[in-house]
Amino acid sequence: MRANDPANMSKKSRSRLWFLVHSWLALPVWFFLLIICVTGTLATVSQEIVWLANPDVRASKPSDDAQRLSFGQVLEAINRAEPELIVQSIGRPDEDHFALTARVSYPDGSSPLLYVNPYSGAIQGVSPEFDFRQFTRALHGWWLVPFTNGYSWGWYLVSLMGLPMLLSLITGLVVYKKFWKGFFSPRLRVGQGARIFWGDFHRLSGIWSIWFIAVISITGVWFLIQAILGDTHVSISTEGVPPVVAREEVPLAPSAAEVPRISLDAAVLKATDIIPGLEPSFVSLPGYAYGHYSVWGRGWYPLMFQSASINPYNGDIDSTRLLSDRSGLEFVTESMRPLHTGDFGGLWVKLLWFVFGLLLSMMVLSGLLIWTKRTAQATVAAVKRPARAAKPVPIVATREISESRP
Amino acid sequence: MSKAAIAPAPSALGRFWYKWRFHINVLLVLIPLGFMPKYFQDVALFRGASGLGEREFGEVQVGPWSLRLAEFRNQPPQLEGPAGYMKSFNAALCQACISQVKVVYLRIGKPRSLRAAGGLFFGSPYRMGTSIPIPPRTKPDAELWITAEGWDGTVHQASIPLAEASPATLAWLKQQGDKP
Repeated sequence: MRANDPANMSKKSRSRLWFLVHSWLALPVWFFLLIICVTGTLATVSQEIVWLANPDVRASKPSDDAQRLSFGQVLEAINRAEPELIVQSIGRPDEDHFALTARVSYPDGSSPLLYVNPYSGAIQGVSPEFDFRQFTRALHGWWLVPFTNGYSWGWYLVSLMGLPMLLSLITGLVVYKKFWKGFFSPRLRVGQGARIFWGDFHRLSGIWSIWFIAVISITGVWFLIQAILGDTHVSISTEGVPPVVAREEVPLAPSAAEVPRISLDAAVLKATDIIPGLEPSFVSLPGYAYGHYSVWGRGWYPLMFQSASINPYNGDIDSTRLLSDRSGLEFVTESMRPLHTGDFGGLWVKLLWFVFGLLLSMMVLSGLLIWTKRTAQATVAAVKRPARAAKPVPIVATREISESRP
Repeated sequence: MSKAAIAPAPSALGRFWYKWRFHINVLLVLIPLGFMPKYFQDVALFRGASGLGEREFGEVQVGPWSLRLAEFRNQPPQLEGPAGYMKSFNAALCQACISQVKVVYLRIGKPRSLRAAGGLFFGSPYRMGTSIPIPPRTKPDAELWITAEGWDGTVHQASIPLAEASPATLAWLKQQGDKP
């Protein structure tokens, strides 16, 4: 009778309860969670997979002493090769082994990416209709459910999984007594049956992934909060409205070609002058007559971008978005996405995220295997025990739980 | 300890859950399969591979220039929070007028001045887009006004009946009008 009263609950039965909570937590969603983990793991290295599959996206050096072209030189090279194209933006991927990506518009209205050699400016290829990277992201991020108005419900479905994952981590650490011992005396018993092996594997990979599970689940829960804020039109941003070139600053001219404009390189130079330490990695060209050149890049803090908008007619910096402009809250919230995806420190961080992603997927799988072998029995036992002290076990309870075994 | 506390009678919902939870899981995995055709359709639409928009409604002559117009989505205006009901249109300038046209505006009803000429088209002249507010009280015989301004400062205007530009919006407006 004492066992049913939480205040008087013995330490042992309380931990048994935690254990049961831990065991049952992910259960109704295990398969879904597993696929989410697997697709997320794939998404971390999707860019690398494309690199392996498609030679167009590789940045091959024509000679050992070849120099990288400036953004302006790349723009010129594209315009020279395909004069009818309109270049909208040029991006330089984090890693040197990737070609530049230029978003362009064709006269037929299509706007693919071009893969451009960073040394020669040669157009190496056009992005295929099937974008593997985008697809894995869409699958992992919102389960392919379209965004019709506000966030897609697939986004909610996936980000909601951050909660059972976080609770699994917390309850897992509570039930795993002195888990830190596992760091010094790791135990993985092979050859004593599948149940023992998967149990050891689950615990061992669990303690080594504490930080990763925490990062993934907390950032996952943030995505949920982000969607709720977005759909209820609550803004926590300190960023103002995007700048527009004043009407009187746009000169009159007989035609577009004769409008005096500063060059792209001049705009990039302006941005690096005003933002010390800026490493420009993405530039966008004015989207219309009242638009700006925008230059984006990272500074000392790898998780966030800084940017400047440069007036194309007079070269004025019309707006900047610096690290110092962000509120404390924004530092946290804007860091969430790169922490989740691991794309902030080059290939090695991505590979680290990939390996721990695999481990996390295996944890979900091993948790499931353990459950099928043990949890159902443990639950029967837990229900039986207090019952034995009072009255005989009602048959209905036993049957109900054993039926739940797959 | 009461018997009920040990073995609560399984409710109908509980029985349903025990019986079907694995199947429900599998259904979750089927969701992306079901949405895959829609996903690829949308990818093609955003990339411009499937045309200017979901429904192109013709070429409009604006002074010496002409442009092709399309509804981005063939659907009624969408409520976008405080902005109200919005509707997106795409446009493509004729090849010869790209170098002459500075900006193109779009709005419901004839603009009183250039300052209130409506939403500005943004993006490549081969395929630019704008999103304009559609007040629910808009009259069904309203017209969509296109204002184009040249780099030399000349301004030209043209209009097209909303009924022609977006039948889905018209149907939605009629529905709004029917409401008390």
